Amino acid sequence: MNEQSKIPTGKVERATRFVGTGLKVGTNYIKHYTRKLMDPSVGKEQLHADNAEDIYETLSNLKGSALKVAQMLSMDKGMLPKAYSDRFAMSQYSAPPLSGPLVVNTFLKTLGKTPAQLFDHFDMKASNAASIGQVHKAMKGDRRLAIKIQYPGVANSVKSDLRIVKPFAIRIVGMSEVDLDKYFEEIETRLLEETDYRLELKRSIELSGLCAHIPNLVFPGYYPELSSERIITMDWLEGQHLKEFLETNPSQEVRNSIGQAIWDFYQFQVHQLKKVHADPHPGNFLMRANGTVGIFDFGCVKEIPEDFYVNYFSLVDKEILKDEARRKQIYANLEMIHPSDTEKEVTFYSTLFQQMIDMLTLPFTLEEFDFGNETYFREIYAYMDYLYNLKEIRESKVARGSRHSLYVNRTYFGMYSILSDLKAKVITSQSRVQALMSAS
Amino acid sequence: MDKKQIREAYTLYWLENGNRPVSVFTFCKILGITETTFYDNYSSLEAIEKDFWLGIFQETLAQLKTDETYQNYAAQEKLLSFYFLWVQKLKENRSYILLQKEKFRFPVLHQGQLDTFRKAFLDYASELIKEGYQSEEIKERKYISDKYAHGFWVQALFVLRYWINDNSEKFEMTDAAIEKAVNLSFRLISSNTLDSLLDFGKFMLTGK
Repeated sequence: MNEQSKIPTGKVERATRFVGTGLKVGTNYIKHYTRKLMDPSVGKEQLHADNAEDIYETLSNLKGSALKVAQMLSMDKGMLPKAYSDRFAMSQYSAPPLSGPLVVNTFLKTLGKTPAQLFDHFDMKASNAASIGQVHKAMKGDRRLAIKIQYPGVANSVKSDLRIVKPFAIRIVGMSEVDLDKYFEEIETRLLEETDYRLELKRSIELSGLCAHIPNLVFPGYYPELSSERIITMDWLEGQHLKEFLETNPSQEVRNSIGQAIWDFYQFQVHQLKKVHADPHPGNFLMRANGTVGIFDFGCVKEIPEDFYVNYFSLVDKEILKDEARRKQIYANLEMIHPSDTEKEVTFYSTLFQQMIDMLTLPFTLEEFDFGNETYFREIYAYMDYLYNLKEIRESKVARGSRHSLYVNRTYFGMYSILSDLKAKVITSQSRVQALMSAS
Repeated sequence: MDKKQIREAYTLYWLENGNRPVSVFTFCKILGITETTFYDNYSSLEAIEKDFWLGIFQETLAQLKTDETYQNYAAQEKLLSFYFLWVQKLKENRSYILLQKEKFRFPVLHQGQLDTFRKAFLDYASELIKEGYQSEEIKERKYISDKYAHGFWVQALFVLRYWINDNSEKFEMTDAAIEKAVNLSFRLISSNTLDSLLDFGKFMLTGK
């Protein structure tokens, strides 16, 4: 049995855990500089690897919202040095499970019956850990089910956890506290929503219904009568997570088909529903050899406000971007440049953003895009590294980018990173989205 | 009238009056039974209060013992299930217990009413600990392991106090507290942490 034997109890203990990490990370720096003294050729790779490992260990012991933040950080590969993202990516798969009696107790309390009374077979050992809960396998009749169970008291600890995570986020992401505040508010809202399983169930049924017509997508059926505020029951989906799937050497055709399905799924949601499954980490996708992909976990859904939508997608339109004044207005609307910026700063940041946008929106401007194109992603990462290391940006105390862009960017980042790992060739033209929208 | 009925009538009296009956006599009058019948069952009003706690404990245990899953659990999981079910049972009498808290600052003071429950709980805990030795979940240590059961009693009191003060929806914070407290205690009595601590303490006291 691999059950976690101890979970940090109160806020104080959680805090000590983080302090522990701080100390360790500090030691890693000392180690790094000593190493460097002895041998000047030593790179920072080892240091990053050491740090990532310590931070990961701390976070995975904390479970709950801290883990969620780790997941978010691991999505933005570009923002983090490679070692951080590799280590954090692990947190997307498994965190240690909680005890059997608690699972039974959750059923009794919220559904009034034990798992044994509700199902013909119920696997007491969790088959998967979600960041704020765990997934169990069960059978009812000849139906195979997946049951997601939430840890008690998660919502209660989200707020205090975020407050503790903040200094670390500042350190890792390299943003000032003022900068982070509006984003943290956004994250907090999303996280609190994610703890609401009734809302998630409602959204899952709604969104998967609306997306059902998109080819090669598979959604599980949901069972409201077997679900509660802490339990969600759905069909068990077959398939493999991205990494394992790629190990089976799927053909280019299969990879294209899955990639296309994922692309269509996101484009349709963003443009038609203006509501998007904003948690595109590989753990939420199950891929299969026949070119289909199973999608679940609508816990994190970002609703896109109309004015943000209009401004955000104007950035893709080359015609609009040619108009200098209009372009500046859009940047201002998206809070990328600020009223307080000097003329020099405005020019500096608009040039940077324009380059970045040209790069990131490239797939949208073409008929077809090959996400297997490694040079493209290397360029993006290199550019991100360049931005990350720019003195002006590092020292800027102003938040740039609207709070809404946080989850929308994260969604596109996540999708790009999955498509790039898949090396899928995808039809990215506008007419493809139009066709999907009119078919719904 | 049997013990259980008297007990229920007694808690009902509390709920309606917010206080203890003036005497056994007035209590019997309200119940419509003779004092002899009362004394056949209980020797005093305090005895009922004690039996209230013991009664809940026994019901919890009886229900657990009929549960097949419970039988197959290891000691740690058994204790977890016990607390979860116990707290569920307490819920049915929450108002009465909160009155005890208001009147007597229970469970900080007035712990006398837990006497018989405590003895029964200690027996139960010792039984679990013995099981734990066999399954090697718990390490036997000279002198100290005799105190484990008392440690669990302190834990039970902690759970009780936590639950009394818990305002969360469906007392889910109590669930979390139980899970964490039990995990912590089993971690302490199984691993080497405690041994290292003792070893260090002994060294500091005797060495020089």
